[in-house]
Amino acid sequence: MRWLRSLALLPVLLVWAAAPASAAQKWGIDGEMVAQFEAKVVDLLCELRGDCPAACGGGKRQLGLVRDDGTLLLAVKSNTLFAGAALDLLPYCGQRVEVDGLIISHPAMVIYMLQRLRKPGATDWVRATAFAEDWKQRNDAEDAKRWFRRDDKANEVIRTFGKVGRPDIMPPPAE
Amino acid sequence: MPRLARLFLLALMLSLAAAPGARAGEIKRITVEGELIDTWCYVTEIMYARGSAHFQCAVWCAVGGIPVSIRADDGTLYVVLRVEDDSRNVSNPAMIRIQSHRVTVDGDLIERDGVKYLLVTQVADDQGIVDLTHVKYGIQPWGM
Repeated sequence: MRWLRSLALLPVLLVWAAAPASAAQKWGIDGEMVAQFEAKVVDLLCELRGDCPAACGGGKRQLGLVRDDGTLLLAVKSNTLFAGAALDLLPYCGQRVEVDGLIISHPAMVIYMLQRLRKPGATDWVRATAFAEDWKQRNDAEDAKRWFRRDDKANEVIRTFGKVGRPDIMPPPAE
Repeated sequence: MPRLARLFLLALMLSLAAAPGARAGEIKRITVEGELIDTWCYVTEIMYARGSAHFQCAVWCAVGGIPVSIRADDGTLYVVLRVEDDSRNVSNPAMIRIQSHRVTVDGDLIERDGVKYLLVTQVADDQGIVDLTHVKYGIQPWGM
């Protein structure tokens, strides 16, 4: 009877084997699931409201992934610390792309963390670190390590309002 | 929420999303009162992501282009895609400056595939940061 039980598992194994092997790194987040798939890159406001500037807004618009079943997935995060995925997906605006990363489900919403991507059919993956590359160029910096501590825009806001966002409150120093 | 329950929830949301009714439906005019939050840190729960404890991190994330949401008092999240006439929803300078603020906004709600997107038509009230969570949680994520 054991062989019969194994046979029953065959369809599941075949589906699993047919799915692309994801190399996405797990974060140990509740509700995370590695997810490698092809999708079309869309500007969210264009997709939802027909407000469609040229080139998906040139990096000033949040982008999403429309899967083959029509599901729209919100791309929230890239592989750069504290950075979104808009610049990584931007070159594929209106086109198909293969992505690898994490789908994270929360009672409030489902989001996608992009870790790497490539043109469908391409061999090599590109790590989703476009924000870091862009930051280096904009700041004429050799690297983007701890970019968030060195960013003029972020530092100006934190200088103005303090680390807890209230200039009237001085938090105690870290222990 | 247990991992199994979350996976079930994901499967349910994806199956609902596959149904014809899950596409962007009608637009509803709503009023939302809640806190501006960083969507990534809040949804993943990788740190405490509310109030003054998370202000600095929320600023970094907003500068980095992570979507900003409003967390209503009942826990509902609304991803902000536009504020009045400004449709720059990546690293928007005005949004960066009001991270963690408690606001009341009017806006157009669009729901699709389990996500609520909000196009704010008017910021009716901005109370600033009122949830002083740093007293209990320190400064997230590294305490400085």
